[in-house]
Amino acid sequence: MSDEHASLPIAARVRRLEERLIEAGVLTDAELDHALDRFLASASPTNGARLVARAWVNPGFRGLLLGDAPAALTHLGLTERMHAATGEILRVVENTPGRHNVIVCTLCSCYPVGLLGPSPSWYKSPAYRARVVREPRAVLAEFGLDLPPDVEITVWDASAEARYMVLPQRPAGTGALDEAQLARLVTRGGLVGTAAA
Amino acid sequence: MAEPGPDAAGRFRPGDRIRTRTIDPAHHTRLPRYARGRLGVVERVQRPFPLPDDRARGIAPPRVERVYTVAFDARELWGDAGEGAHTVTIDLWESYLEPERGDR
Amino acid sequence: MARISDLGGTEGLGPVPGAGDERQQRQDAPPFHADWEARVYALSRVLGGKRLFNTDEFRDAIERMPPSEYLHASYYERWLAAMETLLTEKHVLPGRRHG
Repeated sequence: MSDEHASLPIAARVRRLEERLIEAGVLTDAELDHALDRFLASASPTNGARLVARAWVNPGFRGLLLGDAPAALTHLGLTERMHAATGEILRVVENTPGRHNVIVCTLCSCYPVGLLGPSPSWYKSPAYRARVVREPRAVLAEFGLDLPPDVEITVWDASAEARYMVLPQRPAGTGALDEAQLARLVTRGGLVGTAAA
Repeated sequence: MAEPGPDAAGRFRPGDRIRTRTIDPAHHTRLPRYARGRLGVVERVQRPFPLPDDRARGIAPPRVERVYTVAFDARELWGDAGEGAHTVTIDLWESYLEPERGDR
Repeated sequence: MARISDLGGTEGLGPVPGAGDERQQRQDAPPFHADWEARVYALSRVLGGKRLFNTDEFRDAIERMPPSEYLHASYYERWLAAMETLLTEKHVLPGRRHG
């Protein structure tokens, strides 16, 4: 790719690459649209939230989610959300009153995209990737999450094919809510560990 | 996916103390610099996966090795001046690890 | 050989941008900031699906970016640079190597 392309506005540079690939017969616009539509239709944090809400109301499912996350995905029809072709495999780690978990990929930004949707910018930022393994308590405070000193923190660096998701603690005062209502309480931050739920 | 190598059961078990190798390759690898030559404990054994170091270089077939979730104390990684006592876990291919003296 | 992408523990990178932005935490936060990001994502999926490169080659290409380019590029800009590099190196598209 010649240097002059590098100085184009980014959108033009992307379109130029697409055009060259289409001209070369490598792919079609339809294939690109299809890949995007399929992704947007299926990859969302509502998937992760469903797993959490079910675990909150059903102790048996909670045990399954923690002990064999792929089996739990099958139960909720979410197996396709993980990229089986690459060997991507889910592991769910639970927060307790004594332990808080937070996820990172320091080397790039690996993330369970199918269950959480595309990762937020902060997750991909050099600052998050560099600092959360070294000073998690300070980083979490920047998110407004101030953990008491007696809460132990585990930071999971997703450096291989396992993709991690946090099972947050169920918020207090939610006893009357049904599963669907509970699922709506779960944020992306809660699933990554930068929020309480 | 390629079959696992001869040591299909894996060299390490949960609870084993390991030391990560002090490597500094010119090629792509998935052992982060901050955890090289460090003491950790195996927390979980995963199934074998192709080695990214080989796949990135087009080495075919790539070596296939067990991956281990290894837990490191923050002080081991960052020293005593760091934030304190948290744990960092990293998923590491078997050839990134050596047994710590005294273990098998 | 240290690669700039191997960021764990690096100091001096400042506060996490967007950490206080509640909108980014919500379930309905937009997946991409701009159309071009979505197109880059789609390109990576289609090209990877056609086995023009594997995930590890893709990451390696990102990691080989010159450090200042890496830090100044946004996430999907890095993806774009990686694809341009790989497609040139693998002679899928003609052109000089980028960078």
